[in-house]
Amino acid sequence: MIIFLQLIAVSFSLVMIYFAVLHYQRGELEKIEIVSWVTIWLAVILMAIFPDFARKFSDEVLLTRLFDLMVVGGFVLVISMTARSYLKTKKMEKKLEEYVRKEALKNVKKSS
Amino acid sequence: MKIYIVVPAYNEAKNIGQVLKDLGKTKLPVIVVDDGSKDKTYEVAKKHKVTLLRHRVNLGKGAALKTGFEAAFLKRADAVITMDSDGQHKISDLPQFIDKLKEEKYDIVFGSRDFSHKVPLVRSLGNQFALNLIRLLFGVSVSDLTCGFRGVTKKAYKKMKWESSGYAVETEMVIETGKRHLKYCEVPVETVYYDKVKGVTVLDAIHILFDVLRWRIAK
Repeated sequence: MIIFLQLIAVSFSLVMIYFAVLHYQRGELEKIEIVSWVTIWLAVILMAIFPDFARKFSDEVLLTRLFDLMVVGGFVLVISMTARSYLKTKKMEKKLEEYVRKEALKNVKKSS
Repeated sequence: MKIYIVVPAYNEAKNIGQVLKDLGKTKLPVIVVDDGSKDKTYEVAKKHKVTLLRHRVNLGKGAALKTGFEAAFLKRADAVITMDSDGQHKISDLPQFIDKLKEEKYDIVFGSRDFSHKVPLVRSLGNQFALNLIRLLFGVSVSDLTCGFRGVTKKAYKKMKWESSGYAVETEMVIETGKRHLKYCEVPVETVYYDKVKGVTVLDAIHILFDVLRWRIAK
């Protein structure tokens, strides 16, 4: 059972690394981003293959089960990513609004 | 006092022709902002003697109003009256706004609908709840929060500058009026609802509610 779960975790992480590299090659991710993503997924692979090492770490930070550590880590990751994409969307919205409004007002400036 | 009428429009090809025809009778300069309509709104508005501006993509009512206001002030307007493009506002109510603005006692003139009849019940209840909330949080008291029929002076616009690009703009204008201590008054207006699916929906109202709480905390 554990080996089956480990296989799923490793396979999923490898697929995610593949997608990260693909997006990097398409120029959609920057160097720092691809390095971060690959590091995250490699860490997941390591944790899946060597659960004892991660278990020791979870004991150190007073989390009794390895699963708890992964859930907390997952939450931190998801929340930070959501916050980041929210800010990016807001910024893009603002830029788009400025551009569209500037375009619309172009002719008014000319005629006045 | 030079007063411009600003009409934001989105997919209103069916109604905007009549609105502009009626406005033509007033001899007031009109600015129409087509907010990225997918229908023939732009083409219909083009047939009338108005300043026609176009957003290439739909940004929302707040952004369209901002474009309209800036265009009006570029053309040296002293005040702007905003009207919806679906024909729900009557030009017969315009003189009230003009008179109040010309008195120069008020920075903003809010149109106020009669909620006792003709207005859908959900809108009426939502408006009542929002009014009490705004009164409680910002200490500004008006009887109609979302009526799009308003008169705003240049001075007031420069002071408030809203951030909302969508339907929250009307609520934000009221909040800004309270926060900037602008002088305001209300005039009763007649409203006819032609389209029940357009305008502020329940979902918009929920978004606006969150915006209101955010403005209380962060603005």
